[in-house]
Amino acid sequence: MSTKNNPTITEKMAMLRDITAWFDSDEFVIEQATGKFAEAEKLARDIEQDLAHAKNDITVLKQKFDQAA
Amino acid sequence: MENELPNLPTFSVSDLIASVNQTFEYAYPTLEVTGEVASFKVNQGKFVFFDLKDAGGSVGCFMMVWQLRVPIEDGMRVVVQATPKLTQWGKFSLTVQSVRPSGEGDLRKSFELLKRKLELEGLFAPERKRPLPEMPQHIGVISSTQAAGYADFIKILGDRWGGIRVDVAQVQVQGRDAPDQMIRAINYFNEQAELPEVIVIIRGGGSADDLAAFNDELLVREIAASRIPTLVGVGHETDESLADLAADVRAATPSNAAQLLVPDRRQLIAMSRQLVAALLPRMERVLDDSRVQVRLLMAQAIDQAEIRITTAIDQLAVMQRYIAELNPAQVLVRGYAIMRGEATPGAAIVVETIDTIITAEVTHVDQK
Repeated sequence: MSTKNNPTITEKMAMLRDITAWFDSDEFVIEQATGKFAEAEKLARDIEQDLAHAKNDITVLKQKFDQAA
Repeated sequence: MENELPNLPTFSVSDLIASVNQTFEYAYPTLEVTGEVASFKVNQGKFVFFDLKDAGGSVGCFMMVWQLRVPIEDGMRVVVQATPKLTQWGKFSLTVQSVRPSGEGDLRKSFELLKRKLELEGLFAPERKRPLPEMPQHIGVISSTQAAGYADFIKILGDRWGGIRVDVAQVQVQGRDAPDQMIRAINYFNEQAELPEVIVIIRGGGSADDLAAFNDELLVREIAASRIPTLVGVGHETDESLADLAADVRAATPSNAAQLLVPDRRQLIAMSRQLVAALLPRMERVLDDSRVQVRLLMAQAIDQAEIRITTAIDQLAVMQRYIAELNPAQVLVRGYAIMRGEATPGAAIVVETIDTIITAEVTHVDQK
């Protein structure tokens, strides 16, 4: 589950796409471009690390389905 | 002599029927009988009657309509699971708990009958299909953990993606109990406070009979009615089940289900790198554009300055010419003279020409 300070991979991908879109948008300001670029680089690194190490959490349910409840 | 007969059992009719049923119950609590369906009919929408026959005989069968999970019709060969019973009118019949087509041809026929029926109801309509979440974080899996298809799915899922909560409902995926178990699992997931984002139903390959559970009418309806989007990957690519058709997304195999469910982490890493790499030329382009703009503005400023300087120089030249014309020396050049002194008779005056200075005396003065 994501929190504001601990976004999920999906959220990080969305943030990276937002930054990319910012470069093509009317909101682009040259003074902020370097900062935004650094932010994008960091997000890409984080995504790579998250993906490389993430494992699925598999739980076989204790609930039995062989009889009607 | 009559009294010498051994003690024969004596029954009332009711007792005899009860005793025969008791014997049946002891000898064959449940049995399976194969035969051809004849005189199939449904009464009052609730009661199903048909005969099961072969070359040597025929037996009446009775079941409730809700127990009939696959469509049957006269002429189909089926296997019924039933309890033998002698009715109170002395008629022998089978009380059927389940019926399934027997043999590939009849399985196919039953499949086509149900497919047509559900198709007409719109259960397989493309407009009912919902998209799967792009990167699900919580999924519900319905399968047998012993099945090869399950292992394939879990492996491919782990290779491609991570960080997913996978809740697995362990059920039978083959046999008489399989449809009900899968239905209960679908209901279970649909009733959770924290709903999975997708339900995945998987099973590896098998014979048509092995996969028959996925053509069960109630299961197919449950899949179509699930409020959680469904992904079904059963058997091999060539196998088509009604569960496949009712699902929001059909996967060709369990491995394919994992491929459809999550992106490949390697592709995503490459994509995020590409997104950042694509920013570099954009940054350069923006800087280049700025440089060009600055140069253009500088050139414009220089042009403007030059124009102003030229104008000022021209104005200065005009002023210089004007000032020059006011210079008294210029008047002398044109032949005029400057007279200094008082214009009164007897007074001395000085007359300056271009090249002389004359001192003279005023002899008389006339008014013009």
